[in-house]
Amino acid sequence: MGMLLITRFTIEEAFHRWLLFAMLALNVLFLAVYALMLNSAYASVTRHTAQFANPQLALLRFDVSISILTVWVAYLMSGALAIILTIGAISGEVEAGTFSIIVSKPLHRFEIVFGKWLGYALILCTYTAMLLFTFLGLIYWRTGYWPDNVLSVLGMLELSTLVLLALATLGSTCVPTLVNGAIAMMLFIGAPLASFVELITPDPGETTKNIATTINLIMPTDALWHGASFYLLPSFLISVIGQSGLQSFNSPFTSIEPIAPGLLLWAIGYCIVLPVIGALRFQRRDL
Amino acid sequence: MDLDQTVDSGKLALIPAIEVQGLRKVYQDVIAVDNISFVTYRGEAFGFLGPNGAGKSTVVKILTGLVKPTQGTVEVLGYPVNHMEPRRNLGYLPELPVFHRWLTAKEFLEFHGRLYGIRGSMLQKQIKEALALVGLSGRERQKLSTFSKGMLQRIGLAQALLSVPELVILDELVSGLDPVGQRDMRELLLDLKERGTSIFLNSHQLADVEAVCDRVAIINQGRILKVGAPSELFDKKTKLEVRVDAVNDELLHSLHKIALHVQQDEQDPGRLLVEVQQDEQAADIAYLVHSCGSRLYYLAPQQHSLEQLFFDTIDALRVDK
Repeated sequence: MGMLLITRFTIEEAFHRWLLFAMLALNVLFLAVYALMLNSAYASVTRHTAQFANPQLALLRFDVSISILTVWVAYLMSGALAIILTIGAISGEVEAGTFSIIVSKPLHRFEIVFGKWLGYALILCTYTAMLLFTFLGLIYWRTGYWPDNVLSVLGMLELSTLVLLALATLGSTCVPTLVNGAIAMMLFIGAPLASFVELITPDPGETTKNIATTINLIMPTDALWHGASFYLLPSFLISVIGQSGLQSFNSPFTSIEPIAPGLLLWAIGYCIVLPVIGALRFQRRDL
Repeated sequence: MDLDQTVDSGKLALIPAIEVQGLRKVYQDVIAVDNISFVTYRGEAFGFLGPNGAGKSTVVKILTGLVKPTQGTVEVLGYPVNHMEPRRNLGYLPELPVFHRWLTAKEFLEFHGRLYGIRGSMLQKQIKEALALVGLSGRERQKLSTFSKGMLQRIGLAQALLSVPELVILDELVSGLDPVGQRDMRELLLDLKERGTSIFLNSHQLADVEAVCDRVAIINQGRILKVGAPSELFDKKTKLEVRVDAVNDELLHSLHKIALHVQQDEQDPGRLLVEVQQDEQAADIAYLVHSCGSRLYYLAPQQHSLEQLFFDTIDALRVDK
């Protein structure tokens, strides 16, 4: 019961912060500008594709590309919000001194950690889902393209957000807010490095692959994004992947294969284990 | 040292409220609390006095479960301090409390009431009572961000009293309050004491401790130096200032007989400082002056600040040790 009280309190607090409102207001503005740009770009593409031998394939290529790039922005935005909103989940309260009268109440410290985790998870998952469906809805409205595996895309993005939340939760119980923010931001931004190196290397050796795997294990967000980008491709395209011409969908930001099952399980475990370690750490911490 | 020496067993039930044995807390290389033992009893108001850095706040944080002891045992209301049970009956107000200031007074108390497990109409009733008790009735809808320092202290106390606790732990309760607020808080504490609530008051306001507490522990450098009733702890000899028209030998001789110490002002020979054991001896001094043929112009006790008495006590104990 104490945990759910903290969850409710966390959600209420998030809505009382200007940060969340500022982010939401900027999102609305951004989406409006994006809709205008998309409308204009699609009209231009439609005119130009008439010159191609297969205009429908050229349009599909545009639809898929714009979907991937747009969802990539949604992935970055939800990741950024996850970090900004949660880096001070525990440490911020400890530093402010607001925990003294809460921790001394009849509730376990782990209830505070998991309550906060759950509150932020609900906010971030809702935000990510809203952002994804709004972007894809705009694309569908203008182009008629809707990914076949949209729920898989959503799953990958939500998992990526939860990975960042797990990392921020653990960090928040161990280090000051600023340090936690720096760590989370550096890992989130640095994670795609492995993909970049792997892609530009013609024949990546064992060492490169091992380093890339290690980076993905430390911060699985980039691997999850690549998994999401794969599911943004149309089913028929996936079924013929590997044939000539389709390799062009492979880039540092995209993937033509799904996330490895082992890495997916690792990411799920990451989301569970890190907050548990954080709760254990907080249980023993002097306030 | 007999820690229970001044407990009036006729007035207080000798059931421990707080029982601390061999408590030690070390932060890296710093010993904050060094082998402290004491017991407070249910219904008793217990004061904890000491200068800054004495270890008072560390003890309070250990009692409220915020800090883990390095060594020793701590029982609150009959349970180890980390149990949930005593926390249901414990109200705590930290020093200079910081609250979620986006809440209104009512929302703040509702949240903390729910943390205590109080719900529905009972919660509303207790919020109303707690607000009335701390003099904040009618402020339910006001945001904490608009509260003054004194009002924040009061709302903090309201959350500590919300569950009608058996024990309240108050850390520097009157800091931030104006004189009227300090008086109100003192009266509130006396009222709580009257209702049988056990009080642990961590304070440097000796006047409050003296007015409210049955017993006081003096702590310095992580160790308890003395425990006892406030009246017994401080060496409060009365110093009387006496002004007469002329001081003769007979008067000096007579005063020396009844006083602990007599000092004549070299600059002002008609002025004497007479140290006596009890205030009532002022009347004897007036009589002596008259009977020795001198005319009495002025007779009044010299006021000692309680702070001075406190530090004199600490210094005296240091010398003894």
